[in-house]
Amino acid sequence: MENIIEISHLSKSFKDVKAVQDLSFRVKKGELFAFLGVNGAGKSTTISIMCGQLTKDGGTVKINGVNQDEHADTTKRDLGVVFQNSVLDKALTVRDNLESRAALYGIFGEAFEKRLAQLCVLLDLSDLLNRTVGKLSGGQRRRVDIARALLHEPKILVLDEPTTGLDPQTRKLLWGVVSDLRKQENMTVFLTTHYMEEAAEADYVVVIDAGKIAAEGTPLDLKNEYTADFITLYGVDEEQVKSLGKPYEKVTDGYRISVTNTAEATSLIQKYPQLFVDYEIVKGKMDDVFLAVTGKKINGNGGEEA
Amino acid sequence: MKILASLVKRNTKLFFKDKGMFFTSLITPAILLVLYATFLGNVYRDSFMMGMPEGVTIPEKLLDGFVGGQLFSSLLAVSCITVAFCSNFLMVQDKVTGARADLTMSPVKSSTLALGYYISSTIATLIVCFAATLVCFVYLAIVGWYLSVLDVALIIVDILLVVTFGTALSSIVNMFLSSQGQISAVGSIVSAGYGFICGAYMPISQFGNTLQKVLSFSPGTYATSLIRNHSLRGAFAEMEAIGLPTEAIDGVKMAIDCNVQFFGHDVSLWAMFAVLFISVAVLLAVYILLNVYRNKKKK
Repeated sequence: MENIIEISHLSKSFKDVKAVQDLSFRVKKGELFAFLGVNGAGKSTTISIMCGQLTKDGGTVKINGVNQDEHADTTKRDLGVVFQNSVLDKALTVRDNLESRAALYGIFGEAFEKRLAQLCVLLDLSDLLNRTVGKLSGGQRRRVDIARALLHEPKILVLDEPTTGLDPQTRKLLWGVVSDLRKQENMTVFLTTHYMEEAAEADYVVVIDAGKIAAEGTPLDLKNEYTADFITLYGVDEEQVKSLGKPYEKVTDGYRISVTNTAEATSLIQKYPQLFVDYEIVKGKMDDVFLAVTGKKINGNGGEEA
Repeated sequence: MKILASLVKRNTKLFFKDKGMFFTSLITPAILLVLYATFLGNVYRDSFMMGMPEGVTIPEKLLDGFVGGQLFSSLLAVSCITVAFCSNFLMVQDKVTGARADLTMSPVKSSTLALGYYISSTIATLIVCFAATLVCFVYLAIVGWYLSVLDVALIIVDILLVVTFGTALSSIVNMFLSSQGQISAVGSIVSAGYGFICGAYMPISQFGNTLQKVLSFSPGTYATSLIRNHSLRGAFAEMEAIGLPTEAIDGVKMAIDCNVQFFGHDVSLWAMFAVLFISVAVLLAVYILLNVYRNKKKK
């Protein structure tokens, strides 16, 4: 698969603060790429540079093979951004907002109406078109934000912490739309998030800490490398669990045993088949990966947990 | 061009639909109207009568037309500037709300964005000021109409010029603002202060000598004087026609800033036009250069 985003040796400082330091990574075409980090880790700085909002101190950014320094207008056309907070004009209607933003990409008249009709189907917007953006619910506004980002049919959809502050139902709806887009249009999705369960769904994850890459790989690679596997064993007593000689903790209705990897779990099961009647094996979570990699726990607001 | 037109449409719509921004822009004219209704009207009337020789009788209609013209000119002199500032605050609001980031995320040129703000602010200010002018014309028609067609045409030219000046000035000032607090601070200073320094609330001739000299460097002084001259020309002509002494009329003209001096020299109406034209040209050049400089710095 070819690279659609190539970032090499990117660096950016704000006076004495080194926001991004020698950052290099690739995003492949069509993949869901997750960029993980606590607030202030350098995620937004990287996105702002990528989108041409911020100048960089060094390094190169290539979008769809085009160097951003040489053809910023071309790279901007390939990116559609959903900001963390809605940035549409609250006093205007949905249609007015989309029409004015489409014009910035040279989409007018019939071309706009055609694209609007497509987005109405994709995002179920028809009933919202004449409503004022400021009066929409959080979920409705998010759908309009996505429509704005997709107006010019970008190749990459950048989602900057898109689900922060949204209720579970709206989150589900948003991910449904993103999933459809990926299936139907093979769209690349660049996601920044501090929700670990969202990152776990990604094809590739980069964990950034203090402006540097702390770890990268597929969620499975990261889990295998940075976390243990867990066997949850039911219907046994504590003495039996102790006899396995592995670290464990009591959980509801059973015991959670920590093993180095799946191979060790298999060998344990083969050695003590009489104990493993009712059990389940799970990999560590992305939270564990994040903690192991950065030494930090991320809280619900994306900040570092004390 | 179509992109620019679309931006202008968006900005203008936003100004009129954003009730906060729209009504804030009307605060200064509203203050002036309240002041006029409570005491300013009588102050204008009394100061006019004080300038007349004893025993002279002025027809009530002429007096009302004169005082109304003074109010009209003051109202427009401040509105053209304060409304321009408020409508142009959109460029700051866009930074605060994040809309600016959304706009610059697109391949639109920053010069197009800057021009879009300037043109839309000019259009919005002109709409508000011409609406106010219409209301004032109706008021003058009721209390005492002394304007010729040429006066009306010149008043329209004055408004166009002063609005262009106000928008250019506000474009430069607002470029440096980036928060809601700064908008409030600048909005309050302009709303409260401009009426005084342009001679709308109180004629500059009544200020101290030093302040008068300082204010003679302000284009706002000549903007107010231009509108005042054109809105009162008919009333002064009528005064001459009914036989009021020319010295007394000249005294009134001086007292209410129709005759403005620059270090002891009378400033003609053409010179006032020239001052405003040059000011607009200089301010626009500064605005363009600032935008160019910022773009270069960004690159």
